[in-house]
Amino acid sequence: MSTTSGPKTMNPAWAQETSSTDIIGWVLDTLVHSSNKGLAELPGLAKEFSAKVTEDGKTVYTYVLRKGLKWSDGQPLTIDDVIWSFEKIWFDNDMTANGNAGYMDSNDALPTIKKVDDYTVQFIYNSKFRRGHESIGWTEILPKHVLEPYYKEGKFKEAWSLADLKSVVASGPFVLKTYKEGVRVVLEKNPYYYRKDKNGVQLPYLDQIVYVIVKDLNTERLKFEAGETDIYSPTAEEFPEIRAMAEEKGWVVRQGGPNLGSNFVTFNFNAKDPVKRKWFRNDHFRRAIAYAIDKQTLIDVLYNGLGAALYGPVSPSSGFYNPAVEDLGFRYSLARAKRELKKGGFVFKGGKLYDADGNPVKFELTTNAGNNVREEIGNILKENLSKLGIDVNFAPMQFNALVGKLVATGDWEAVIIGLTGSVDPASGWNVWRLDGGLHFWNYSPEVKPKMFDDELKADYVVPDYEKRIDEIMRLQVSAVDKDELRKLFDEFQMLVAEHQVLVYTVAQNYLIAYKKSVHIYNPDPNPAAGVLWAGWNIWKDQ
Amino acid sequence: MLKYILRRIILAIPVLLGVSIVSFMIISLAPGDFLDSYRLNPAVSADQVKNLEKRFGLDKSPVVQYFIWLKNILKGDWGDSFTYQIPVWDLIWRRVGATLLLSITTFIFTWGIGIPLGIYAALHQYSLGDQIVGVIGFIGLSIPNFFFALLFLFFAAKTGGKIFPVGGYISLGYDSFPAWKKFLDILWHVLGPMITLGTSGLAGTMRVMRGQLLDELKQDYVEFARAKGMPENVVIYKHALRNAINPIITALGFSISGLLGGAVLTENVFGWPGMGQLIIEALLQQDIFVIMADIMLASVLLVLGNLIADILLAAVDPRVRLRLG
Repeated sequence: MSTTSGPKTMNPAWAQETSSTDIIGWVLDTLVHSSNKGLAELPGLAKEFSAKVTEDGKTVYTYVLRKGLKWSDGQPLTIDDVIWSFEKIWFDNDMTANGNAGYMDSNDALPTIKKVDDYTVQFIYNSKFRRGHESIGWTEILPKHVLEPYYKEGKFKEAWSLADLKSVVASGPFVLKTYKEGVRVVLEKNPYYYRKDKNGVQLPYLDQIVYVIVKDLNTERLKFEAGETDIYSPTAEEFPEIRAMAEEKGWVVRQGGPNLGSNFVTFNFNAKDPVKRKWFRNDHFRRAIAYAIDKQTLIDVLYNGLGAALYGPVSPSSGFYNPAVEDLGFRYSLARAKRELKKGGFVFKGGKLYDADGNPVKFELTTNAGNNVREEIGNILKENLSKLGIDVNFAPMQFNALVGKLVATGDWEAVIIGLTGSVDPASGWNVWRLDGGLHFWNYSPEVKPKMFDDELKADYVVPDYEKRIDEIMRLQVSAVDKDELRKLFDEFQMLVAEHQVLVYTVAQNYLIAYKKSVHIYNPDPNPAAGVLWAGWNIWKDQ
Repeated sequence: MLKYILRRIILAIPVLLGVSIVSFMIISLAPGDFLDSYRLNPAVSADQVKNLEKRFGLDKSPVVQYFIWLKNILKGDWGDSFTYQIPVWDLIWRRVGATLLLSITTFIFTWGIGIPLGIYAALHQYSLGDQIVGVIGFIGLSIPNFFFALLFLFFAAKTGGKIFPVGGYISLGYDSFPAWKKFLDILWHVLGPMITLGTSGLAGTMRVMRGQLLDELKQDYVEFARAKGMPENVVIYKHALRNAINPIITALGFSISGLLGGAVLTENVFGWPGMGQLIIEALLQQDIFVIMADIMLASVLLVLGNLIADILLAAVDPRVRLRLG
């Protein structure tokens, strides 16, 4: 296999990039595994797990460990490892890069941990809380016997860094054998792994997984073509070519649903210019923009037709996707865009668009330079909007400068940007809540006092739909009932799509190619669970 | 002589200090910082970003940050990389081996072939050989490195990776090779990036050598030497060449500073684990201490390279005298 970059650290609490977390995922196991739809419902280190809401309104998550678990150094993996990992590391804000907010319920409280017996542990929240299962179940369990000395010396952050890879022990199917920076990562089968197949053969089947680090995408492809690597993720551009060669070369080529991340256009409700602010807050204006985005052309141009149009905040690949957002009809139509603009009080005069007060409509659009997809979206949007008489000045800027404008100064008008997505829409709470740290299109003056002068502060408005979305994001936290949760998320998606709070664009499909000799276990690879899902079941012809 | 070297080293201190101030400020002036990717990550709360800012010292003004950095360096602590959470020198040392291997082999390739070819071209001016050598040199010079590298890899892949490897540093089975084979394996892998980098440097060395030697050969003393019946070999190699070599030695000094610089584009294409890759990643992520350590390393090497070139010049050319003034 090839990867563009090696791990930066093997410490799961400080790993940020997928280059690190991909490798850690092989080495450190979690209590619960995800299904191939990306839902936390399969047993991992825990053979049984349950969530219960007690009569006094508490939520109790119970996990029962498998018997006879061992670390790759032969030491037993016990309930004490589980408790130590959470108590000392994951629940401590200073011990991890992401902080402990992910484990907190709606009252910002952490659960108490209760050891029931030698194999059973309970996490008790004092409120109704639904997310505990994912956040606790998907957390890596750490070896107390190895890491406690670091912790006691106050050096946990440096544990398992590149200078300290020898002390890494594994609970997952593979152990880290060698890592040569910039060259490759070699993972070797963990002899103490707890899974056996039906015939009692110790899993994983593969003896080794080798990640070859190749920065350049062209080289990565050449290596796959020369047969040096077994699995390759082609770009949409080269996918048809790879597909054409598949027969002759003995490859399997597959396509899954659209990726979970998103690219959208966002308008600053609190733009410095009061005239523009008024347009951006106007629902009709944003809807008109949505009509003016030619999604099919974008998919054809950017992804060779191998993509999907997005109409709402949740990816169609997610189990929570509400297909009703497609029925709102935000498909490319300049006529509808014009109608929508007229409804919003805009006037066409001599091929140019003016607002009700006679100001010509023009704005600055930006994105992070170097992102081809976003730059292309910007170019096509600019052209389409010019047909509506809207003058767009599209000037991409450097990523850091853009982030500064978005989250610090608020000095921007319109931006094309994307955020990482996941199956659960609630992972975006930080984006959608009114007091969220990433609610950049309409920050509250309390969250970002520096962005607001007195005049702007007086003009701060929260539309009703935003209030409701905020409410949903708070309610879903305690929606333990599945139907109730789905209803909330359905409403959330409809609200965002109907008002085009963020104007969503397109996403590329999951694309993969691998040699026929590699037998992938996942029947249906998709963005939530790729070809490596349940990797201990993968095998290869000799 | 020793006094001269000492003086040069002392004079280098304010230069290095200046370099560090300017580069630190320029990095700080660039918008954003390392935590920007955290700021746009939905999983990280705003409080946690503030927490990390404080921990990494990014909440202070650039001037304060600079003095803290300087103070720590005087204590011998160059800081930790934000991304890797390990001391920066740890990180850089890990790349030194591959970087030096590539730069030294390239160095030998460029100079070892460039100088003799330059001499050949000068001695056979306007002959067919001179023209061919010139054309080859300019082709190497004019093809961009990354493109040449891709062509090279394309060739390697089409021949099934048997003549040349398709990039990389070692083969798949490297761990099970005996020691001698390991050594050959690495040498085999260095060929690609070496030829890529070498061909682009070749033309420069060759043309300078050729031009210099031609100049010298037209001097009166050469004519005189020939007139008095000195053997042609002695005229060329003992007299003309020794005079022609000065600019080459100066250039040599400069190339010492590049030894640890790495070659970003070529490294990327070949997947060579050199310094260039590390630094470009650090630059993109604004991992400031890694960048600063690398800049300081390059500056020290530049100062040293110049010093060595000056000493070498004095050694080969009796007209050059090292003066303290």
